[in-house]
Amino acid sequence: MSNNNKVTVVDREGATHNLEWEPDQTLMEALRDNDLPVLASCGGTASCATCHVFLEKDVFENLSERSEDELELLVEAEGYQECGSRLSCQVDFSRNLDGVTVTLAPEG
Amino acid sequence: MPEQQIPHKNQPVVIIGAGHSGVAVATGLRTKGWQGRILLLDAEKETPYERPPLSKELLKAGAPNESTPLRKEKFFQDKGIERVGGLTVESIDRPGKTVLLSDGSRHAYHRLVIATGSRARALTVPGADLPGVLALRTKDDALELKRVLLPGARVAIIGAGYIGLEVAAAAAARGCEVTVLEFQDRVMSRVTSAPVSRFFENVHEQKGVRFVFGAAVTAIEGTDWAEHVVTADGARFPADVVLTGIGVIPNQEIAEAAGLHCKDGIFVDDDGRTSDPEIYATGDVTRFTSRIDGQSQRLECIQNAMSQADSVAAHITGQPTSDPEIPWFWTVQHGVRLQTAGVRHPDDDVVVRGTPSEGKFSVVYLRNGRLSAVDTVGGLSDFRPAKKLIAQAAAIDPALAADPSISLTDAALQPSL
Repeated sequence: MSNNNKVTVVDREGATHNLEWEPDQTLMEALRDNDLPVLASCGGTASCATCHVFLEKDVFENLSERSEDELELLVEAEGYQECGSRLSCQVDFSRNLDGVTVTLAPEG
Repeated sequence: MPEQQIPHKNQPVVIIGAGHSGVAVATGLRTKGWQGRILLLDAEKETPYERPPLSKELLKAGAPNESTPLRKEKFFQDKGIERVGGLTVESIDRPGKTVLLSDGSRHAYHRLVIATGSRARALTVPGADLPGVLALRTKDDALELKRVLLPGARVAIIGAGYIGLEVAAAAAARGCEVTVLEFQDRVMSRVTSAPVSRFFENVHEQKGVRFVFGAAVTAIEGTDWAEHVVTADGARFPADVVLTGIGVIPNQEIAEAAGLHCKDGIFVDDDGRTSDPEIYATGDVTRFTSRIDGQSQRLECIQNAMSQADSVAAHITGQPTSDPEIPWFWTVQHGVRLQTAGVRHPDDDVVVRGTPSEGKFSVVYLRNGRLSAVDTVGGLSDFRPAKKLIAQAAAIDPALAADPSISLTDAALQPSL
Protein backbone atom coordinates (compact mmCIF):
# COMPACT_ATOMS: atom_id res chain seq x y z
CA MET A 1 0.00 0.00 0.00
CA SER A 2 2.96 2.28 0.47
CA ASN A 3 3.08 2.98 -3.25
CA ASN A 4 -0.20 4.85 -3.09
CA ASN A 5 -0.47 8.60 -2.93
CA LYS A 6 -2.51 10.24 -0.24
CA VAL A 7 -4.99 12.78 -1.56
CA THR A 8 -7.25 15.18 0.26
CA VAL A 9 -10.41 15.99 -1.64
CA VAL A 10 -12.67 18.94 -0.93
CA ASP A 11 -16.14 18.16 -2.26
CA ARG A 12 -18.74 20.63 -3.55
CA GLU A 13 -20.20 21.07 -0.07
CA GLY A 14 -16.77 21.90 1.34
CA ALA A 15 -16.35 18.61 3.21
CA THR A 16 -12.94 16.94 3.05
CA HIS A 17 -12.20 13.30 2.24
CA ASN A 18 -8.90 11.49 2.51
CA LEU A 19 -8.27 8.83 -0.07
CA GLU A 20 -5.58 6.63 -1.54
CA TRP A 21 -4.60 7.17 -5.17
CA GLU A 22 -3.25 3.96 -6.66
CA PRO A 23 -0.42 4.04 -9.21
CA ASP A 24 -2.48 2.60 -12.09
CA GLN A 25 -5.25 5.15 -11.75
CA THR A 26 -5.68 8.57 -13.22
CA LEU A 27 -6.77 11.17 -10.70
CA MET A 28 -10.33 10.89 -12.10
CA GLU A 29 -10.37 7.15 -11.49
CA ALA A 30 -9.16 7.60 -7.94
CA LEU A 31 -11.94 10.12 -7.28
CA ARG A 32 -14.64 8.07 -8.99
CA ASP A 33 -13.65 4.75 -7.46
CA ASN A 34 -13.76 6.33 -4.00
CA ASP A 35 -17.39 7.34 -4.51
CA LEU A 36 -16.84 11.03 -5.01
CA PRO A 37 -19.52 12.58 -7.24
CA VAL A 38 -17.52 12.74 -10.45
CA LEU A 39 -19.70 11.82 -13.42
CA ALA A 40 -16.79 11.25 -15.84
CA SER A 41 -19.27 10.38 -18.54
CA CYS A 42 -16.67 10.06 -21.31
CA GLY A 43 -14.63 7.49 -19.42
CA GLY A 44 -11.54 9.67 -19.35
CA THR A 45 -11.03 10.87 -22.92
CA ALA A 46 -11.12 14.65 -22.36
CA SER A 47 -14.52 14.89 -24.03
CA CYS A 48 -17.03 15.90 -21.39
CA ALA A 49 -15.42 18.02 -18.65
CA THR A 50 -17.51 16.40 -15.92
CA CYS A 51 -14.36 15.57 -13.93
CA HIS A 52 -13.16 19.19 -13.62
CA VAL A 53 -11.05 19.85 -10.52
CA PHE A 54 -8.99 22.68 -9.08
CA LEU A 55 -5.41 22.07 -8.02
CA GLU A 56 -3.21 24.30 -5.94
CA LYS A 57 -1.12 26.68 -8.03
CA ASP A 58 2.27 25.14 -7.28
CA VAL A 59 0.96 21.65 -8.01
CA PHE A 60 -0.70 22.83 -11.20
CA GLU A 61 2.47 24.48 -12.45
CA ASN A 62 4.46 21.28 -12.19
CA LEU A 63 2.05 19.26 -14.35
CA SER A 64 2.36 18.80 -18.09
CA GLU A 65 0.56 21.26 -20.37
CA ARG A 66 -3.17 20.92 -21.01
CA SER A 67 -4.09 19.67 -24.48
CA GLU A 68 -6.13 21.89 -26.77
CA ASP A 69 -9.26 19.75 -26.23
CA GLU A 70 -8.85 19.89 -22.47
CA LEU A 71 -8.30 23.62 -22.48
CA GLU A 72 -11.29 24.35 -24.74
CA LEU A 73 -13.55 22.36 -22.44
CA LEU A 74 -12.14 23.95 -19.30
CA VAL A 75 -12.29 27.55 -20.47
CA GLU A 76 -16.06 27.20 -20.82
CA ALA A 77 -16.44 25.36 -17.51
CA GLU A 78 -17.95 26.91 -14.44
CA GLY A 79 -15.34 28.50 -12.18
CA TYR A 80 -12.49 28.01 -14.65
CA GLN A 81 -9.12 28.89 -13.14
CA GLU A 82 -6.31 29.66 -15.53
CA CYS A 83 -3.75 28.36 -13.03
CA GLY A 84 -5.66 25.57 -11.35
CA SER A 85 -8.31 23.96 -13.54
CA ARG A 86 -7.66 20.46 -14.85
CA LEU A 87 -9.69 17.57 -16.13
CA SER A 88 -8.78 14.99 -13.54
CA CYS A 89 -8.87 12.26 -16.21
CA GLN A 90 -5.82 13.91 -17.76
CA VAL A 91 -3.78 13.88 -14.56
CA ASP A 92 -1.71 10.70 -14.35
CA PHE A 93 -0.35 9.25 -11.15
CA SER A 94 2.99 10.63 -10.09
CA ARG A 95 4.87 10.33 -6.81
CA ASN A 96 5.26 14.11 -6.92
CA LEU A 97 1.53 14.38 -6.35
CA ASP A 98 1.59 12.60 -3.01
CA GLY A 99 -0.30 14.64 -0.44
CA VAL A 100 -2.04 17.03 -2.82
CA THR A 101 -5.37 18.67 -2.16
CA VAL A 102 -7.94 18.46 -4.93
CA THR A 103 -11.11 20.54 -5.00
CA LEU A 104 -14.08 19.40 -7.05
CA ALA A 105 -15.28 22.13 -9.41
CA PRO A 106 -18.97 23.05 -9.50
CA GLU A 107 -21.11 20.99 -11.85
CA GLY A 108 -22.50 22.56 -14.98
CA MET B 1 -32.10 9.35 2.42
CA PRO B 2 -30.27 7.96 5.45
CA GLU B 3 -29.24 4.39 4.72
CA GLN B 4 -31.27 2.88 7.53
CA GLN B 5 -34.44 4.21 5.88
CA ILE B 6 -33.96 2.57 2.49
CA PRO B 7 -36.78 0.06 2.12
CA HIS B 8 -35.79 -3.55 1.42
CA LYS B 9 -32.11 -2.56 1.30
CA ASN B 10 -30.99 -6.08 2.24
CA GLN B 11 -32.81 -7.74 -0.65
CA PRO B 12 -31.04 -9.00 -3.79
CA VAL B 13 -30.79 -7.04 -7.04
CA VAL B 14 -29.83 -8.91 -10.19
CA ILE B 15 -28.37 -6.97 -13.11
CA ILE B 16 -28.20 -8.61 -16.53
CA GLY B 17 -25.36 -7.12 -18.55
CA ALA B 18 -22.07 -5.54 -17.50
CA GLY B 19 -21.58 -2.82 -20.08
CA HIS B 20 -21.39 0.84 -19.09
CA SER B 21 -24.96 0.90 -17.85
CA GLY B 22 -25.03 -2.38 -15.92
CA VAL B 23 -21.81 -1.54 -14.13
CA ALA B 24 -23.08 1.95 -13.34
CA VAL B 25 -26.28 0.54 -11.81
CA ALA B 26 -24.25 -1.82 -9.63
CA THR B 27 -21.88 0.86 -8.39
CA GLY B 28 -24.71 3.38 -8.05
CA LEU B 29 -26.70 1.04 -5.83
CA ARG B 30 -23.77 0.59 -3.46
CA THR B 31 -22.96 4.29 -3.40
CA LYS B 32 -26.58 5.03 -2.55
CA GLY B 33 -26.57 2.59 0.35
CA TRP B 34 -27.98 -0.68 -0.97
CA GLN B 35 -26.74 -3.49 1.29
CA GLY B 36 -28.23 -6.60 -0.26
CA ARG B 37 -26.74 -8.95 -2.79
CA ILE B 38 -25.83 -7.32 -6.10
CA LEU B 39 -25.37 -9.94 -8.79
CA LEU B 40 -23.90 -8.52 -12.00
CA LEU B 41 -24.23 -11.02 -14.85
CA ASP B 42 -21.84 -10.63 -17.76
CA ALA B 43 -22.03 -12.67 -20.96
CA GLU B 44 -18.32 -11.93 -21.45
CA LYS B 45 -15.75 -13.47 -19.18
CA GLU B 46 -13.24 -10.78 -18.46
CA THR B 47 -13.50 -7.59 -16.45
CA PRO B 48 -15.99 -5.16 -18.06
CA TYR B 49 -14.25 -2.64 -20.28
CA GLU B 50 -14.70 0.67 -22.08
CA ARG B 51 -16.34 0.31 -25.50
CA PRO B 52 -15.46 3.54 -27.34
CA PRO B 53 -11.74 2.69 -27.68
CA LEU B 54 -12.53 -0.56 -29.51
CA SER B 55 -13.06 1.21 -32.82
CA LYS B 56 -10.48 3.90 -32.11
CA GLU B 57 -7.30 3.43 -30.05
CA LEU B 58 -7.34 -0.36 -29.92
CA LEU B 59 -7.20 -0.76 -33.71
CA LYS B 60 -4.05 1.33 -34.04
CA ALA B 61 -0.90 -0.51 -35.06
CA GLY B 62 1.23 -1.21 -32.01
CA ALA B 63 -1.49 -0.22 -29.54
CA PRO B 64 -2.02 -2.64 -26.65
CA ASN B 65 -4.73 -5.23 -27.19
CA GLU B 66 -6.54 -3.96 -24.16
CA SER B 67 -9.33 -1.56 -23.40
CA THR B 68 -9.44 0.26 -20.08
CA PRO B 69 -11.58 -1.61 -17.54
CA LEU B 70 -14.74 0.21 -16.49
CA ARG B 71 -13.75 -0.65 -12.93
CA LYS B 72 -10.85 -2.72 -11.68
CA GLU B 73 -11.66 -6.29 -10.65
CA LYS B 74 -10.71 -5.35 -7.11
CA PHE B 75 -13.29 -2.58 -7.11
CA PHE B 76 -16.09 -5.10 -7.63
CA GLN B 77 -14.70 -7.20 -4.79
CA ASP B 78 -14.30 -4.23 -2.48
CA LYS B 79 -17.87 -3.14 -3.12
CA GLY B 80 -19.29 -6.62 -2.66
CA ILE B 81 -20.58 -6.71 -6.21
CA GLU B 82 -20.71 -10.33 -7.39
CA ARG B 83 -19.66 -10.23 -11.00
CA VAL B 84 -20.29 -13.51 -12.78
CA GLY B 85 -18.72 -13.71 -16.23
CA GLY B 86 -19.27 -16.05 -19.16
CA LEU B 87 -22.89 -16.86 -18.39
CA THR B 88 -26.09 -15.76 -20.06
CA VAL B 89 -29.63 -15.55 -18.76
CA GLU B 90 -31.93 -18.21 -20.17
CA SER B 91 -35.18 -16.88 -18.83
CA ILE B 92 -36.89 -14.63 -16.33
CA ASP B 93 -39.55 -16.12 -14.06
CA ARG B 94 -41.61 -13.08 -13.14
CA PRO B 95 -44.11 -14.71 -10.77
CA GLY B 96 -41.27 -16.52 -8.95
CA LYS B 97 -38.97 -13.46 -9.18
CA THR B 98 -35.96 -15.47 -10.27
CA VAL B 99 -33.65 -15.68 -13.28
CA LEU B 100 -32.37 -18.92 -14.77
CA LEU B 101 -28.76 -18.87 -15.98
CA SER B 102 -27.08 -20.90 -18.70
CA ASP B 103 -25.28 -23.02 -16.08
CA GLY B 104 -28.66 -24.10 -14.68
CA SER B 105 -28.44 -21.99 -11.54
CA ARG B 106 -31.40 -19.91 -10.44
CA HIS B 107 -31.16 -16.61 -8.60
CA ALA B 108 -33.83 -14.72 -6.73
CA TYR B 109 -34.29 -11.00 -7.24
CA HIS B 110 -36.14 -8.31 -5.38
CA ARG B 111 -35.51 -5.99 -8.32
CA LEU B 112 -34.16 -7.02 -11.72
CA VAL B 113 -32.29 -4.71 -14.10
CA ILE B 114 -31.94 -5.59 -17.78
CA ALA B 115 -28.87 -3.91 -19.27
CA THR B 116 -28.22 -6.24 -22.17
CA GLY B 117 -27.27 -3.50 -24.65
CA SER B 118 -27.40 -3.94 -28.37
CA ARG B 119 -25.65 -5.98 -31.01
CA ALA B 120 -24.48 -5.19 -34.51
CA ARG B 121 -27.26 -5.48 -37.07
CA ALA B 122 -26.44 -8.39 -39.36
CA LEU B 123 -26.29 -8.02 -43.10
CA THR B 124 -28.90 -10.34 -44.60
CA VAL B 125 -27.61 -10.77 -48.16
CA PRO B 126 -26.25 -14.04 -49.60
CA GLY B 127 -22.68 -14.62 -48.49
CA ALA B 128 -22.97 -12.42 -45.39
CA ASP B 129 -22.01 -15.43 -43.26
CA LEU B 130 -18.71 -16.03 -45.07
CA PRO B 131 -15.54 -15.88 -43.00
CA GLY B 132 -13.94 -12.50 -43.49
CA VAL B 133 -17.24 -10.66 -43.00
CA LEU B 134 -16.90 -8.99 -39.64
CA ALA B 135 -18.79 -6.66 -37.36
CA LEU B 136 -17.43 -4.68 -34.43
CA ARG B 137 -19.12 -4.69 -31.07
CA THR B 138 -16.96 -6.50 -28.51
CA LYS B 139 -13.29 -6.59 -27.66
CA ASP B 140 -12.99 -9.97 -29.35
CA ASP B 141 -14.45 -8.44 -32.51
CA ALA B 142 -11.91 -5.63 -32.35
CA LEU B 143 -8.99 -8.01 -31.89
CA GLU B 144 -10.14 -10.15 -34.79
CA LEU B 145 -10.40 -7.07 -36.97
CA LYS B 146 -6.97 -5.91 -35.87
CA ARG B 147 -5.47 -9.23 -36.99
CA VAL B 148 -6.79 -8.85 -40.53
CA LEU B 149 -6.22 -5.13 -41.11
CA LEU B 150 -2.81 -5.77 -42.62
CA PRO B 151 -0.92 -3.40 -44.90
CA GLY B 152 -2.19 -3.81 -48.46
CA ALA B 153 -5.36 -5.63 -47.44
CA ARG B 154 -8.39 -4.61 -49.44
CA VAL B 155 -11.03 -3.59 -46.92
CA ALA B 156 -14.65 -3.04 -47.92
CA ILE B 157 -16.74 -1.29 -45.33
CA ILE B 158 -20.50 -1.44 -45.61
CA GLY B 159 -22.09 1.55 -43.94
CA ALA B 160 -20.65 5.04 -43.40
CA GLY B 161 -21.78 5.60 -39.81
CA TYR B 162 -19.53 6.12 -36.78
CA ILE B 163 -18.27 2.54 -36.68
CA GLY B 164 -17.70 2.19 -40.42
CA LEU B 165 -15.82 5.47 -40.59
CA GLU B 166 -13.72 4.90 -37.47
CA VAL B 167 -12.67 1.53 -38.86
CA ALA B 168 -12.04 3.13 -42.27
CA ALA B 169 -9.68 5.61 -40.61
CA ALA B 170 -7.88 2.89 -38.64
CA ALA B 171 -7.56 0.67 -41.70
CA ALA B 172 -6.23 3.48 -43.88
CA ALA B 173 -3.68 4.37 -41.22
CA ARG B 174 -2.54 0.76 -41.21
CA GLY B 175 -1.91 0.83 -44.95
CA CYS B 176 -5.06 -0.94 -46.11
CA GLU B 177 -6.86 -0.11 -49.33
CA VAL B 178 -10.24 1.09 -48.07
CA THR B 179 -13.56 1.34 -49.89
CA VAL B 180 -16.66 2.50 -48.04
CA LEU B 181 -20.01 1.48 -49.54
CA GLU B 182 -22.92 3.60 -48.33
CA PHE B 183 -26.56 3.41 -49.37
CA GLN B 184 -27.22 7.12 -48.69
CA ASP B 185 -25.58 9.94 -50.64
CA ARG B 186 -23.26 11.09 -47.84
CA VAL B 187 -21.53 9.84 -44.69
CA MET B 188 -23.16 9.87 -41.23
CA SER B 189 -26.42 11.03 -42.82
CA ARG B 190 -28.47 9.77 -39.89
CA VAL B 191 -26.59 11.79 -37.29
CA THR B 192 -25.35 14.95 -38.94
CA SER B 193 -25.96 17.55 -41.64
CA ALA B 194 -24.47 17.79 -45.12
CA PRO B 195 -21.70 20.32 -44.29
CA VAL B 196 -20.28 17.99 -41.64
CA SER B 197 -20.64 14.95 -43.90
CA ARG B 198 -18.83 16.68 -46.74
CA PHE B 199 -16.05 17.80 -44.42
CA PHE B 200 -15.42 14.26 -43.16
CA GLU B 201 -15.64 12.77 -46.65
CA ASN B 202 -12.85 15.11 -47.63
CA VAL B 203 -10.76 14.21 -44.57
CA HIS B 204 -11.07 10.52 -45.45
CA GLU B 205 -10.39 11.02 -49.15
CA GLN B 206 -7.20 12.91 -48.33
CA LYS B 207 -6.06 9.75 -46.55
CA GLY B 208 -6.89 7.53 -49.49
CA VAL B 209 -10.31 6.24 -48.49
CA ARG B 210 -12.66 5.77 -51.43
CA PHE B 211 -16.43 6.26 -51.10
CA VAL B 212 -19.20 4.72 -53.16
CA PHE B 213 -22.55 6.36 -52.40
CA GLY B 214 -25.98 5.03 -53.36
CA ALA B 215 -24.52 1.55 -53.00
CA ALA B 216 -27.08 -1.15 -52.24
CA VAL B 217 -25.17 -4.29 -51.30
CA THR B 218 -26.89 -7.38 -52.71
CA ALA B 219 -24.36 -10.15 -52.08
CA ILE B 220 -20.94 -11.09 -50.83
CA GLU B 221 -19.16 -13.58 -53.03
CA GLY B 222 -16.39 -15.97 -52.14
CA THR B 223 -15.69 -19.66 -51.83
CA ASP B 224 -14.38 -20.16 -48.31
CA TRP B 225 -13.63 -16.49 -47.50
CA ALA B 226 -15.23 -13.23 -48.62
CA GLU B 227 -13.76 -12.07 -51.93
CA HIS B 228 -16.15 -9.55 -53.49
CA VAL B 229 -18.94 -7.25 -52.40
CA VAL B 230 -21.63 -6.97 -55.07
CA THR B 231 -24.01 -4.03 -55.39
CA ALA B 232 -27.43 -3.70 -57.04
CA ASP B 233 -25.97 -2.06 -60.16
CA GLY B 234 -23.84 -5.14 -60.76
CA ALA B 235 -20.55 -3.61 -59.59
CA ARG B 236 -18.19 -6.00 -57.79
CA PHE B 237 -15.70 -4.71 -55.24
CA PRO B 238 -12.79 -7.00 -54.42
CA ALA B 239 -12.24 -7.37 -50.69
CA ASP B 240 -10.01 -9.35 -48.36
CA VAL B 241 -11.95 -8.08 -45.37
CA VAL B 242 -15.56 -6.91 -45.20
CA LEU B 243 -16.72 -4.89 -42.20
CA THR B 244 -20.41 -4.22 -41.73
CA GLY B 245 -21.43 -1.15 -39.78
CA ILE B 246 -25.14 -0.86 -40.49
CA GLY B 247 -26.47 -0.05 -37.07
CA VAL B 248 -27.44 -2.02 -34.01
CA ILE B 249 -30.48 -3.85 -32.70
CA PRO B 250 -31.45 -4.05 -29.03
CA ASN B 251 -30.88 -7.31 -27.14
CA GLN B 252 -34.45 -7.45 -25.90
CA GLU B 253 -35.24 -11.15 -26.44
CA ILE B 254 -35.30 -12.27 -22.80
CA ALA B 255 -37.50 -9.29 -21.93
CA GLU B 256 -39.87 -10.09 -24.77
CA ALA B 257 -40.01 -13.74 -23.76
CA ALA B 258 -40.90 -12.62 -20.24
CA GLY B 259 -43.80 -10.62 -21.64
CA LEU B 260 -42.39 -7.15 -21.05
CA HIS B 261 -43.60 -4.42 -23.39
CA CYS B 262 -41.02 -4.08 -26.19
CA LYS B 263 -40.91 -2.73 -29.70
CA ASP B 264 -37.46 -2.06 -31.08
CA GLY B 265 -36.32 -1.64 -27.48
CA ILE B 266 -37.71 -2.37 -24.03
CA PHE B 267 -40.11 0.40 -23.06
CA VAL B 268 -39.10 2.21 -19.87
CA ASP B 269 -40.38 5.25 -18.00
CA ASP B 270 -38.30 8.15 -16.64
CA ASP B 271 -37.28 5.98 -13.68
CA GLY B 272 -36.14 3.16 -15.96
CA ARG B 273 -39.07 0.90 -15.07
CA THR B 274 -40.40 -1.54 -17.63
CA SER B 275 -44.04 -2.63 -17.88
CA ASP B 276 -43.29 -4.79 -14.80
CA PRO B 277 -42.61 -2.36 -11.93
CA GLU B 278 -40.17 -4.79 -10.32
CA ILE B 279 -38.06 -4.96 -13.47
CA TYR B 280 -35.97 -2.09 -14.80
CA ALA B 281 -34.08 -1.72 -18.05
CA THR B 282 -31.29 0.67 -18.88
CA GLY B 283 -28.89 1.67 -21.67
CA ASP B 284 -28.91 0.84 -25.37
CA VAL B 285 -31.62 -1.81 -25.00
CA THR B 286 -34.29 0.70 -23.89
CA ARG B 287 -36.88 2.77 -25.69
CA PHE B 288 -38.25 5.79 -23.90
CA THR B 289 -39.94 9.13 -24.37
CA SER B 290 -37.50 12.01 -24.70
CA ARG B 291 -37.97 14.61 -21.98
CA ILE B 292 -36.83 17.23 -24.47
CA ASP B 293 -39.06 16.71 -27.48
CA GLY B 294 -41.56 14.04 -26.41
CA GLN B 295 -40.44 11.61 -29.09
CA SER B 296 -40.09 7.89 -28.52
CA GLN B 297 -36.44 7.01 -28.99
CA ARG B 298 -33.56 4.69 -28.38
CA LEU B 299 -30.21 6.33 -27.73
CA GLU B 300 -26.94 4.55 -28.28
CA CYS B 301 -24.60 6.59 -26.18
CA ILE B 302 -22.74 6.47 -22.91
CA GLN B 303 -24.49 9.54 -21.58
CA ASN B 304 -27.81 7.72 -21.82
CA ALA B 305 -26.36 4.53 -20.36
CA MET B 306 -25.03 6.44 -17.35
CA SER B 307 -28.01 8.68 -16.84
CA GLN B 308 -30.56 5.86 -16.95
CA ALA B 309 -28.34 3.84 -14.61
CA ASP B 310 -28.41 6.72 -12.14
CA SER B 311 -32.21 6.94 -12.37
CA VAL B 312 -32.58 3.20 -11.80
CA ALA B 313 -30.22 3.10 -8.82
CA ALA B 314 -31.95 6.15 -7.37
CA HIS B 315 -35.43 4.72 -7.85
CA ILE B 316 -34.55 1.35 -6.36
CA THR B 317 -33.10 3.04 -3.28
CA GLY B 318 -35.92 5.59 -3.08
CA GLN B 319 -33.76 8.63 -3.70
CA PRO B 320 -34.12 11.63 -5.99
CA THR B 321 -32.45 11.50 -9.39
CA SER B 322 -30.12 14.15 -10.66
CA ASP B 323 -30.95 16.07 -13.82
CA PRO B 324 -29.74 14.09 -16.82
CA GLU B 325 -26.98 15.48 -19.01
CA ILE B 326 -28.03 16.47 -22.51
CA PRO B 327 -27.37 13.46 -24.79
CA TRP B 328 -24.01 13.68 -26.43
CA PHE B 329 -21.89 11.63 -28.82
CA TRP B 330 -18.40 11.65 -30.19
CA THR B 331 -16.29 10.11 -32.90
CA VAL B 332 -12.66 10.54 -33.89
CA GLN B 333 -11.59 9.88 -37.48
CA HIS B 334 -8.05 10.47 -38.73
CA GLY B 335 -7.45 12.39 -35.53
CA VAL B 336 -10.34 14.80 -36.18
CA ARG B 337 -12.96 14.88 -33.48
CA LEU B 338 -16.65 15.31 -34.16
CA GLN B 339 -18.57 15.89 -30.98
CA THR B 340 -22.31 16.36 -30.90
CA ALA B 341 -24.60 17.58 -28.14
CA GLY B 342 -28.34 17.16 -28.41
CA VAL B 343 -30.31 15.11 -30.91
CA ARG B 344 -30.76 16.80 -34.25
CA HIS B 345 -33.84 16.32 -36.44
CA PRO B 346 -33.34 16.22 -40.20
CA ASP B 347 -35.60 19.26 -40.69
CA ASP B 348 -33.83 21.48 -38.13
CA ASP B 349 -32.40 24.74 -39.49
CA VAL B 350 -28.66 24.49 -40.03
CA VAL B 351 -26.27 27.32 -39.15
CA VAL B 352 -22.57 26.86 -39.92
CA ARG B 353 -20.23 28.62 -37.48
CA GLY B 354 -16.75 29.14 -38.85
CA THR B 355 -15.02 27.93 -41.98
CA PRO B 356 -14.98 24.19 -42.63
CA SER B 357 -11.95 24.48 -44.89
CA GLU B 358 -9.93 25.58 -41.85
CA GLY B 359 -10.69 22.26 -40.17
CA LYS B 360 -12.34 23.74 -37.13
CA PHE B 361 -15.97 24.77 -37.07
CA SER B 362 -19.33 24.10 -35.49
CA VAL B 363 -22.78 23.52 -36.87
CA VAL B 364 -25.73 24.73 -34.86
CA TYR B 365 -29.18 23.20 -35.25
CA LEU B 366 -32.27 25.28 -34.56
CA ARG B 367 -35.79 23.96 -34.14
CA ASN B 368 -38.46 26.67 -34.08
CA GLY B 369 -35.66 29.12 -33.40
CA ARG B 370 -34.36 27.25 -30.37
CA LEU B 371 -31.06 25.43 -30.03
CA SER B 372 -31.67 21.70 -30.45
CA ALA B 373 -28.19 20.35 -31.16
CA VAL B 374 -24.65 21.28 -32.05
CA ASP B 375 -21.82 19.57 -33.89
CA THR B 376 -18.31 20.68 -33.06
CA VAL B 377 -15.61 19.67 -35.50
CA GLY B 378 -11.93 19.82 -34.58
CA GLY B 379 -12.61 21.89 -31.48
CA LEU B 380 -14.66 21.82 -28.31
CA SER B 381 -15.16 25.44 -27.32
CA ASP B 382 -18.86 25.44 -28.28
CA PHE B 383 -19.58 22.10 -26.64
CA ARG B 384 -20.31 23.01 -23.04
CA PRO B 385 -22.07 26.31 -23.77
CA ALA B 386 -24.26 24.44 -26.28
CA LYS B 387 -25.17 21.76 -23.76
CA LYS B 388 -26.36 24.44 -21.36
CA LEU B 389 -28.33 26.30 -24.01
CA ILE B 390 -29.95 23.10 -25.27
CA ALA B 391 -31.01 22.24 -21.72
CA GLN B 392 -32.61 25.70 -21.49
CA ALA B 393 -34.17 25.38 -24.97
CA ALA B 394 -32.65 28.79 -25.58
CA ALA B 395 -33.84 30.91 -28.52
CA ILE B 396 -30.88 31.76 -30.73
CA ASP B 397 -30.22 34.59 -33.17
CA PRO B 398 -29.07 32.72 -36.30
CA ALA B 399 -27.02 35.65 -37.60
CA LEU B 400 -25.07 35.92 -34.34
CA ALA B 401 -24.68 32.15 -34.13
CA ALA B 402 -23.09 32.13 -37.58
CA ASP B 403 -20.30 34.39 -36.33
CA PRO B 404 -17.69 32.29 -34.52
CA SER B 405 -16.13 35.38 -32.95
CA ILE B 406 -19.31 35.78 -30.88
CA SER B 407 -19.77 33.20 -28.16
CA LEU B 408 -22.74 30.92 -28.56
CA THR B 409 -24.00 32.12 -25.21
CA ASP B 410 -24.07 35.67 -26.54
CA ALA B 411 -26.04 34.51 -29.57
CA ALA B 412 -28.87 33.47 -27.25
CA LEU B 413 -31.81 35.83 -27.22
CA GLN B 414 -32.79 36.95 -23.76
CA PRO B 415 -36.29 35.83 -22.87
CA SER B 416 -38.65 38.81 -22.96
CA LEU B 417 -40.02 39.73 -19.56
